[in-house]
Amino acid sequence: MTSASSPGAVLDPQALKRLRELDPTGAGKLLERVAKAFEDLAARLLPQLHAGQVAADAEAIRHVAHTLKSSAASVGAVKLSQLCAEMEGMAKQGQTNGMHEPIAALCAELAAVLAALKDALVSHP
Amino acid sequence: MKPDDAAPPADAQAVPRVLLVDDDEVNLLLTTQALRDRGFEVTVASGGESALALLDDCLPDVVVLDALMPGLDGFQTCRILRGRSGLESLPVLMLTGLDDDASITRAYAAGATDFFVKSTHWGLLGWRLRHLLRSSRTRAELERSKAKLARAQDLARMGSFDWPRGLSSPLFSTEGLRVLGLSAQHPLRTRGLLRLIAPDARGDLIELLHDTLRHASALAADIPVRFGDGTQRIVHVQAEPEFDEHGLASGYSGFVQDVTDRRLAEDRIRRLAHFDTLTGLPNRTQLNLRTEVAIEHARRMGHQVGVLLVDLDRFKVINDTLGHAAGDELLIEVAHRLRTSVRHSDREIELSVESMGSRSHRLLEAVGRYGGDEFVALLPELSDERDAELVATRILELMKEPIFVGGQECFVTASVGVALFPRDGDSVTDLMRSSDVAMYAAKSRGPNTHSLYSPKLAGRGREKIELESALHKAIERDELVLHYQPKVDARRVRLMGVEALMRWRHNGVLVQPADFIPLAEETGLIVPLSEWALREAARQSRVWQNAFGFTEAIAVNLPNRLFERIDLVEVIHQAVTQHDVPHHAIELEITETGLMKDSGNVNATLHRLNEMGVEISIDDFGTGYSSLAYLTNMPISELKIDRSFVRELGLAPKSSDIVMAIIALARSLGLRVVAEGVETRRQMDVLQRLGCRLMQGFLFSRPLPADELQAWCERVLVERSATWIADRGDDSPDEPSRASHLRAAGARRGR
Repeated sequence: MTSASSPGAVLDPQALKRLRELDPTGAGKLLERVAKAFEDLAARLLPQLHAGQVAADAEAIRHVAHTLKSSAASVGAVKLSQLCAEMEGMAKQGQTNGMHEPIAALCAELAAVLAALKDALVSHP
Repeated sequence: MKPDDAAPPADAQAVPRVLLVDDDEVNLLLTTQALRDRGFEVTVASGGESALALLDDCLPDVVVLDALMPGLDGFQTCRILRGRSGLESLPVLMLTGLDDDASITRAYAAGATDFFVKSTHWGLLGWRLRHLLRSSRTRAELERSKAKLARAQDLARMGSFDWPRGLSSPLFSTEGLRVLGLSAQHPLRTRGLLRLIAPDARGDLIELLHDTLRHASALAADIPVRFGDGTQRIVHVQAEPEFDEHGLASGYSGFVQDVTDRRLAEDRIRRLAHFDTLTGLPNRTQLNLRTEVAIEHARRMGHQVGVLLVDLDRFKVINDTLGHAAGDELLIEVAHRLRTSVRHSDREIELSVESMGSRSHRLLEAVGRYGGDEFVALLPELSDERDAELVATRILELMKEPIFVGGQECFVTASVGVALFPRDGDSVTDLMRSSDVAMYAAKSRGPNTHSLYSPKLAGRGREKIELESALHKAIERDELVLHYQPKVDARRVRLMGVEALMRWRHNGVLVQPADFIPLAEETGLIVPLSEWALREAARQSRVWQNAFGFTEAIAVNLPNRLFERIDLVEVIHQAVTQHDVPHHAIELEITETGLMKDSGNVNATLHRLNEMGVEISIDDFGTGYSSLAYLTNMPISELKIDRSFVRELGLAPKSSDIVMAIIALARSLGLRVVAEGVETRRQMDVLQRLGCRLMQGFLFSRPLPADELQAWCERVLVERSATWIADRGDDSPDEPSRASHLRAAGARRGR
C-alpha cells in the first residue's frame, strides 16, 4: 500500500472547499463539528474493527467499512473511502483471512485523515 | 400593484420540512447544514426506528432515507412507512451509493419516490428535494381530481370504459364495473357481460353492436341489466369510436351509466300522463292511443272495434248536493264496477302493437275515464254489434246497485252510446263523436239505456252540443227573455194573471222552451235560468205596475228539482224586495210529477212560500200520478187542466168527463181551476158550460213580449175587441170595473 500522506492527497481540496462553503463565515463552526464527529466515529469504529478482526466476524468488519466509507467520502477523504469500499467488498464475500494488511493500511490512512482534518482546522479555523 | 399579487402562493411560501434519516453522523451534519442553508426545515433521525417514531407525531413534506443503516435499513423503513395510513404518497428520497444499481431497484420496490446518489455536492440534494416536492404536489392534485371525478361518477352512477381494437372485451374503470354490479376483482369478459343482459334484449344488443362496429358509428343505448344478486337495472351505454393518426378506427371509448332511477321517474311521468289519478283508469290520452292502435289493427285484420261512451246521468246533482269528495268517491266506485265489465288491461300501450304479438291487441281492451263523469269502454275486437250491446247492457246492470257515498245511498244511472269501427267512423275522432251522439240519444230516451249510433242521430247530436255551449253563455249575453200569456176570466172578460214563458233569442231566432229547457235541466243550467226568470218577473211586475197599475200575479214555471237545489224562499224574497213588489206578485207553477218525489222537502218550502203570499199552481194537471193526498196536504191555490184534455173537448166524449171531474175536485178543495191551451170558441164554450171560466190559450192571446201586454189589455179588456168576446150587450151587471186597473193607472199618471 502507498504511504503517501501529504494533506493534499489525504483530503480532496475540492471536497474541502465545498465543506467550507457550507459555513463560509465559520460562525457555525461546521468544520470543527464535522472533524469532531469524524473523530468520535473513528474512536467508536476502530475497536469494533479490531474486535471483528480477532473474531473473524466479516459482518462486523463490513459494517465498520461501510459506515467509515460514507463518512470519509463526506469529508473528502477520497483514499480512505476507497480503502473502506475495498474492505467492504471483501467482507461482503465473507472474507476474513488476509485482512491484516488492508486493516493496517486503513488505520494508517484514517490516522492521516484525522491529522489532516486537524491541520485544516488550524489553517482555516 | 395590490399586495396580494406580490405574494407567492401559500404552498410555495411555506418552509418545506424534511425528515433526514442517516446513521452516518458526519453525513447527517453536513446534509442538515446544506439543506438549512437552502431554506429547508430539517429534522434528523439516526435510524429507521427513530424515524418511524418521529413520523407518529409530525408529518414532514419529504423524507430523505439512507438506504443502508444498522437496524431497520432504508428499504424496510420505507416499506413500513408506506403501509401507514396518510403516508402512502409522502415523498421519500432514498440515498444510495454511487453505482449501486441493486439499491436503486430495491428503493423503488420498497416504495421510494426517487433515489439520490450521495455526493459532496451538497447543493444538488436541495434541488432534487425541491423538484420532488413540486412533482408530489402536482401528483397530489392529480390524485385529488381523480378522486373527485370518481366521486362524481359514483354519484352519477357512471363509469368509463375503453375498448381498444383487437381486445376481446372492453376495459372498465372501477366505477364502470360498479355500475354493472361488478368489482375490480371479478371483471367479466364479453360473454359474461352479455349474460348480464336480460335475455330478450340480448339479441337486439348484439345486432346493434355489430352494426355500430361495421360502420364505426357512435353507440347509445339503454340496456336492461340483471345483476348477480337478481336486481334489475337499466344501464345507458354511450361510446364514440376513436381513430389513430392514420384515421383508422383504433377502438371505442365511452361510459356506462345506471339510469334506472331516471327511467323510473320517466315511467312515473308517463303513467301520470296516461292514467287518471283518481280512478287509476287509462285517461283520455291513453284511450285515444289505444283506440288508434285498435283501429289500425282492425283495419289490417278486418274486424270491428267497439267504443262505448258511458255518461253518468245525475252526477252533477250528486256533486252539487253531496260535495266533490263524495263525487270523487262515487267516480272511484263506478270505475271499479266498470273495470269488471270488460277484460280490462292496465298495461300502458305505446304507439304500435307490432312488437306485442298477433293476439296482443286484446291487451288494448279497457275502460278509461274520458272526462269528468264520462267513461269509455274500448272493445278492440268485435264480430258483431250485439257483442257491444251485451257489454253496454252489462254496464247498465252494474250501475243498478246503489252506491254508498258520503254516508248516503245513491242511485246512479248511466247512458251508454255505442259506436263501431268502421261502420260509425274510421278514425278515433269520428268514432268518439259517433259514440257521443249515440250517448245523447240514449240520454234523451231515458235513464239507464244504451243506444247504437245511427247516421240519423248525427245532426241532432252535434246541434245539441253546440246548443249546450251557447246556453251556458245565454244569461251573461242577455239572450233570455220572458214572454207573457194572459190568464183570463172568459166570462167576465178580466185579466186574472199572466204566465211567464221563457224564450231564448239565439242567433237571431227565438228558441222555444221545449228545445232548450230539457237540455238546461240535463246540464244543471236550469238553476241559474230559473233564478233569472224569478228576478226578471219581479222586475217586470214593477214596470207594469208603474205603467198601468198591473197588480196580478206573474206565474213562473219551476222545475221541481229546483226545490232541492236552491233556497227558493230566499231567492223569491230577494227578487220581490229588490223591485219593491209584494210577494204575491209572483206565483209558482210546478208539475205534480215532481211533487210526488221528495215531498217532505218540497212540502216545507211550499208552506213557507205560501205563508209569504206566493201562490202555487199545479201545471199540466191530470197527466201525472194524481194523488189526493198531496192536493190536500200542500198549500196549493190553483190547478191547470192540461192542454191535452182541452184539445179534445167537444171532439172526444170522454175528455169532457175528465175535465168535469177535475173541476169538481178543485171546487171541493177550494182551488181555482184554469184551462190551458184553449184555442177555439167551442173549447171555451164547453169549459164555461162545465163551470170553468178561467182560461189561457191562443184564443185569448199568444204569449206576448212584455211591452205588448198593455196594448192587449186596452184592446181586449177596454175596447172588448176580440173574437171570443160575445157581442151581446147583456153582460152581467155585477161587473162594473172590467178594466179598473187601466183606469186606475191612468188616474195615477194624471195625478
